[in-house]
Amino acid sequence: MSALNRSTIFPGLSALLISAAIGMVFFYAPLEKTMGSVQKIFYFHLPLALTAFLSFFVAFISGIMYLRSRKRIWDARLASSVEIGVVLTTLVLITGSLWGKPIWNTYWTWDPRLTTSLILWFIFASCLILRSAVDDEGKRATYSAVLAIVGFIDVPIVFLSARLWRSIHPTVIRADSIGLEFSMLMTLLVCMAAMLAFWVGLYKFRVSLQLQEAEVNDLINQKR
Amino acid sequence: MKSLRQIRFLLDKDLRIELRKKESLVSMAFFGALILVMLNISSGIGRQVDAETGAGILWVAIIFSSVLGLGRVFSREKENGCVAALLISPVTPGEIFVAKTLVNFTLMLLSELVLVPVFYVLFGAQLSFSLLTLLPVLLLVNLGFSTTGTLISAISAGTRRNEVLLPILLFPLILPLTALAVKATAATMAAKPFAELLPQLEPMFAFCVIFSAVGYLLFPFTIRED
Amino acid sequence: MSNGSAFLSISGLRKSYGAQEALCGVDLDLQRGEFLCLFGPNGAGKSTLLKIIATLLRPDAGQVKVCDYDLEEHPEQYRAHLGMVSHQSFVYQDLTVLENLEFYAALYGVEQPRERALELLDQVNLADRYDMLAANLSRGMQQRLSIARALINDPELLLLDEPYTGLDEYAASVLRDQLQLLHDRKRTIIMVTHNLRRGMESATKLGILARGELVYLEQKAAIDPTSFEDLYFRHLEMA
Repeated sequence: MSALNRSTIFPGLSALLISAAIGMVFFYAPLEKTMGSVQKIFYFHLPLALTAFLSFFVAFISGIMYLRSRKRIWDARLASSVEIGVVLTTLVLITGSLWGKPIWNTYWTWDPRLTTSLILWFIFASCLILRSAVDDEGKRATYSAVLAIVGFIDVPIVFLSARLWRSIHPTVIRADSIGLEFSMLMTLLVCMAAMLAFWVGLYKFRVSLQLQEAEVNDLINQKR
Repeated sequence: MKSLRQIRFLLDKDLRIELRKKESLVSMAFFGALILVMLNISSGIGRQVDAETGAGILWVAIIFSSVLGLGRVFSREKENGCVAALLISPVTPGEIFVAKTLVNFTLMLLSELVLVPVFYVLFGAQLSFSLLTLLPVLLLVNLGFSTTGTLISAISAGTRRNEVLLPILLFPLILPLTALAVKATAATMAAKPFAELLPQLEPMFAFCVIFSAVGYLLFPFTIRED
Repeated sequence: MSNGSAFLSISGLRKSYGAQEALCGVDLDLQRGEFLCLFGPNGAGKSTLLKIIATLLRPDAGQVKVCDYDLEEHPEQYRAHLGMVSHQSFVYQDLTVLENLEFYAALYGVEQPRERALELLDQVNLADRYDMLAANLSRGMQQRLSIARALINDPELLLLDEPYTGLDEYAASVLRDQLQLLHDRKRTIIMVTHNLRRGMESATKLGILARGELVYLEQKAAIDPTSFEDLYFRHLEMA
């Protein structure tokens, strides 16, 4: 019973926070002068981007820890964070282009941040494809750990080189360069907290599901 | 000293097999030339391409054809379990990594000896040609591609779908290298001085250094069984 | 080396794949020059044990000690004196017979690699095929080449994983003769096999591995062959 309660903390918390966040975005935060209502997507876009990056960071750490310890739990953490990271990056790309269409007048441009997110998406989605192609548990874990580490190390290189190879790109409106109004900042913080709680809840579910899957596979193998 | 000797033995063995069978080299050069012809036709017959497009075309041909050779680098060791034989010999995994990287580097360089001339025959009318400035770009991409590729090919050779997975896993990782190479090559084709290439060559060099180190460290995990 | 200490000493060796325990605490001591033959049903952990001794796998717990060589710090030194015959041939299809042996001889730092290769080819009766590609050899010849390959460094410790599986009669007799030669020169040998007759004919020590444990280990001289066979079959039935 207590285990059940513990596992519902983060889903419950994120349900609360997400409702609050949606409320604040639409009823509390003021309308931005030049961009209008389109700007509101930013309250979801930025937290999504941060949690996506968090996922890949967790995957990177889990990869290192797996190679050091060979413990199944680290593979479960790696797999879960890569899965979540791919979903979140997809959402980052979608919300970004929805915002970019009215503001930049294009769905896509080779801005360093966009480029980095896209390549990140490709690297970690390929990690999921790799996992589906390896049957042996140990091999699958080792291979995806190596790929998660290499992929994460690639990120700063991608970002730096993207700045170099497209020197003429539209000026990006950066969140930290606009002085955010207090109410906007509060909304953003609540959105971030909501996304973070959601992330932790999802992550915990996925990790325990991964472990259960591995145990079921053990039982199947023992029967053979 | 001993490491260098072991690396030479491994390299000699692979190059000897390659020279005997010529399977990788022939398919790399052939496929690369085929891509160049196809892109020449699809860019409009009789139309000239500018330096930037030309550079992109050259690198698409080189990168795509090099994957063919890379795929063989490891699948050959998997036949008859030769990887296990190497692992229980006094050779270290790091030495295997260096040797395989050099094998792939050599294969790429040899196929480029065919592809670059073919490129200039098909596209070169309006582009300047300076082997001296192109050479460092070629060498850096070969090195970066070979180190990253050796690591990834050890992974993909351990799966059921080697040929399919190799480009899927490798291309996203080497995308920054390719993009920089395209820009640098475009500068050489527009007859820019060498100094203008440096902003691209420096990060390319950094890429090579980083992935040589990462590959060397992670490679043992990918070929060992445990 | 003092007489009391063992050449190979294995203690508390454990290895599991997921929840499946392949080895659950194996202890084993071998003196220099002993020839151990291990029997056991499928999935008893025989191959895992050999792979750990060969440094192909790392154990979860326990250790392998080989006198004179430090396995942890300088595995290459130990590997230089190790030989292995497996059911895979370990030869390159696109190299000739001689090139295969010369390549491995070079890796092992054998002095005069060509002479050593030719000598071994003579012993496994492949001398007249030295310039054939391995791919063009018949199966039996490939197997003899694979035996020669494993012996290229004149190993102190030879590991054999089901060597007789799929071997033709002639290759099997070549293998037996080579094992006898090695044994005469006080080399230590561990063989894992299903083949009771082949295993018993040359070994000096017999063991049974079942469910990841070494359930039986005895000098051959002290064993009554028929009762050993009965014991082995009982373990086969239990598996």
